[in-house]
Amino acid sequence: MHIAEGFLPVTHAVGWTLAAAPFVVHGARQVVAEVRERPENTLLLGAAGAFTFVLSAVKLPSFTGSSSHPTGTGAGAVLFRPPVMALLGTIVLLFQALLLAHGGLTTLGANAFAMAVVGPWAGYGAYRLTRRLGGGLPPGVFAAMAVADLATYVTTAGQLALALPDAGTGVAGAFAKFLSVFALTQVPLAVGEGLLGVLLFRVLTANARPELERLGLLRPEPAR
Amino acid sequence: MTGLAVDDAAWASAWRRRSPADKLLLCGGLVACALALPAWPGSVLVGLTAVVLALGPARVPARTFGRAVRWPLAFIAVGALTSVVTVGTGGLGWAPDAATRAGSLTGHALAGSAAVLLLATTTPVSDLLPALRGLRVPAAVVEVAAVTYRLLFVLLASLHAVREAQTARMGYATVGRGYRSSGALAAAVLTRSWDRARRMQEGLAGRGMETGLRVLPEVLPSSRAFVTATVVGLAALVTVGLLA
Repeated sequence: MHIAEGFLPVTHAVGWTLAAAPFVVHGARQVVAEVRERPENTLLLGAAGAFTFVLSAVKLPSFTGSSSHPTGTGAGAVLFRPPVMALLGTIVLLFQALLLAHGGLTTLGANAFAMAVVGPWAGYGAYRLTRRLGGGLPPGVFAAMAVADLATYVTTAGQLALALPDAGTGVAGAFAKFLSVFALTQVPLAVGEGLLGVLLFRVLTANARPELERLGLLRPEPAR
Repeated sequence: MTGLAVDDAAWASAWRRRSPADKLLLCGGLVACALALPAWPGSVLVGLTAVVLALGPARVPARTFGRAVRWPLAFIAVGALTSVVTVGTGGLGWAPDAATRAGSLTGHALAGSAAVLLLATTTPVSDLLPALRGLRVPAAVVEVAAVTYRLLFVLLASLHAVREAQTARMGYATVGRGYRSSGALAAAVLTRSWDRARRMQEGLAGRGMETGLRVLPEVLPSSRAFVTATVVGLAALVTVGLLA
């Protein structure tokens, strides 16, 4: 769910761009430092961005019979950490606007704040909390992906409510309206994305354990 | 064919050889007009201009343009409707200025979306990325974006191939099997992306290119006639939009 081009007033579009900018710049600095230290990681980071874009093309079966698409930022936050996802998510949003007509250019800042900043940080926070409370990788990943999706949707509803307050009940009323309208699709999608994450990491644990160990998600297995 | 209709249209567009800066001036100006001018007649004129330019001189297929505009249209319709419905003690109702508000919101958003789509269907992303350097985006970030753009088509091809094989094996016959197949599909795409990146790096290192994937940007010269027509056209849109 990305805010379409022209849907936000100019002041809001500029405001959300300024709000997202520090996080995206911080992510860019991390990427620049990473690439300067290990130039070969340019390709791995590009692959991570491409994966996040392509993940949004994975059709998720819906219990209502239709299908929807995951945002992928929760998985990205667990795999690559939120600061990097702030930049990669913004790049992916730019490509979605230019290649799929999802979102827009003046609304890129608002969409980046919701999907590339709030979503990954909330998802990563849920992941860390679940792991700290003794949950394994699957519950942590489920929490990360579901919370990232829900946080993105709640933030977008808030952005729309601020831009388009209700005539009678103001911003609070508009927030409740947008939350309830988009909940029809976003709540089942968040649960579905959490389940997808569990299945994704189960396959990765079986087939790509060294990569998950290198990323610090799994402890190295003791040598036999 | 890259697998993304908008990208295919951009590579095949009659404006493909035009300078990206010229097209950014035109489409950026149209987006600014769509946002700043009153919805009637300003946004309507901007939207019509973008559609006529895309389907006319730029020769973008109408089917591609129409299909691409469906996504923003769905969001705009739901968003505009939600914004003009009020919930009170008496149940659901319409806001006092519902028609004006919905019309204005829809006009601005549709015109802006059409202007962005004009840019997207006439300019491949690889032509736009060098422009990011002009905005002082670090070279390393532009390079990561360029690798992302190049790799995503490879991964999309993998995604379609694996999904086709899964579908042929009844992988999506039930919701449960569909989830298992989607998880395996995402994992296959991720491991293939790592594998592809590692092989590309080894190939580049073997050629002595250890600082990344450097390519010469294609030089597409600016057209004075195009820029003049753009400035005159945008000035006319602003004049008509404000005076009418």
